[in-house]
Amino acid sequence: MSDIIRREEFGEVAILHITTTSVDAVSAATIAAECQSMRPITVLDFNEVSFINSAGISALLKFVVSARKSGYKLFAMHVSLHHQKIFKMVEMSRFMPVIEERDLAEYRVA
Amino acid sequence: MERVELNIPSNPIFERVVRASAAEVGSAFGFSAERIEDLKLAISEAVNNAIDHGNNREASKLVAVVFEIDGDQLEVRISDEGTGVEKLDFGHRAIDEANLEAGQLRGFGMYLISELVDDLEVSSSHRGTVLTLRLYRREQP
Repeated sequence: MSDIIRREEFGEVAILHITTTSVDAVSAATIAAECQSMRPITVLDFNEVSFINSAGISALLKFVVSARKSGYKLFAMHVSLHHQKIFKMVEMSRFMPVIEERDLAEYRVA
Repeated sequence: MERVELNIPSNPIFERVVRASAAEVGSAFGFSAERIEDLKLAISEAVNNAIDHGNNREASKLVAVVFEIDGDQLEVRISDEGTGVEKLDFGHRAIDEANLEAGQLRGFGMYLISELVDDLEVSSSHRGTVLTLRLYRREQP
């Protein structure tokens, strides 16, 4: 259990709510460690995140690599417009597309 | 001209201090919220590069950050106490399948800086490297 990730699981879905405001060199290792316990559908929730830099992107890529190895799906949720711009610059969006919270509703009732 | 100067130890936690200062300077300069986020990210990347690659995270070595507002120009100089670099690569860097397979998950910082600022310069010698970033005030659309 991490103090900067809060897990929520239902069925095959894990939502990892990032509870730190900065996904940066300080928080990167703790966030990346969570990629060891992904579910077939894993969603990273950026609702509380106000800053992401390249050290943070590197941490997020650990989830991308882990998902690809396991054949899992990885999504991002509540990504700010600024962070969507940054993700587009480095083409992160190809590997971790944004999902809307309402799209998860069907999994919650299943 | 208005000038703000910070010196931080080479510990990533203090990059957050510079970032907070960048937000205040950007706000004082009249930048939009989006442009402040661009400024924070560009400076964050430059400071982390100075900490990691310039000063090799030796806490006794300082990273100096100078903000200078001169008319419609905001200039930020980030200096380390390293031994210099031959070249910094600001070329396009994107995530692709080959990089993921090879485990090459780092190295986006310089590219992001080049995309987020209006102008940049690198000056390096055996006494350290100075990265100068310039951003200009623009008419709001």
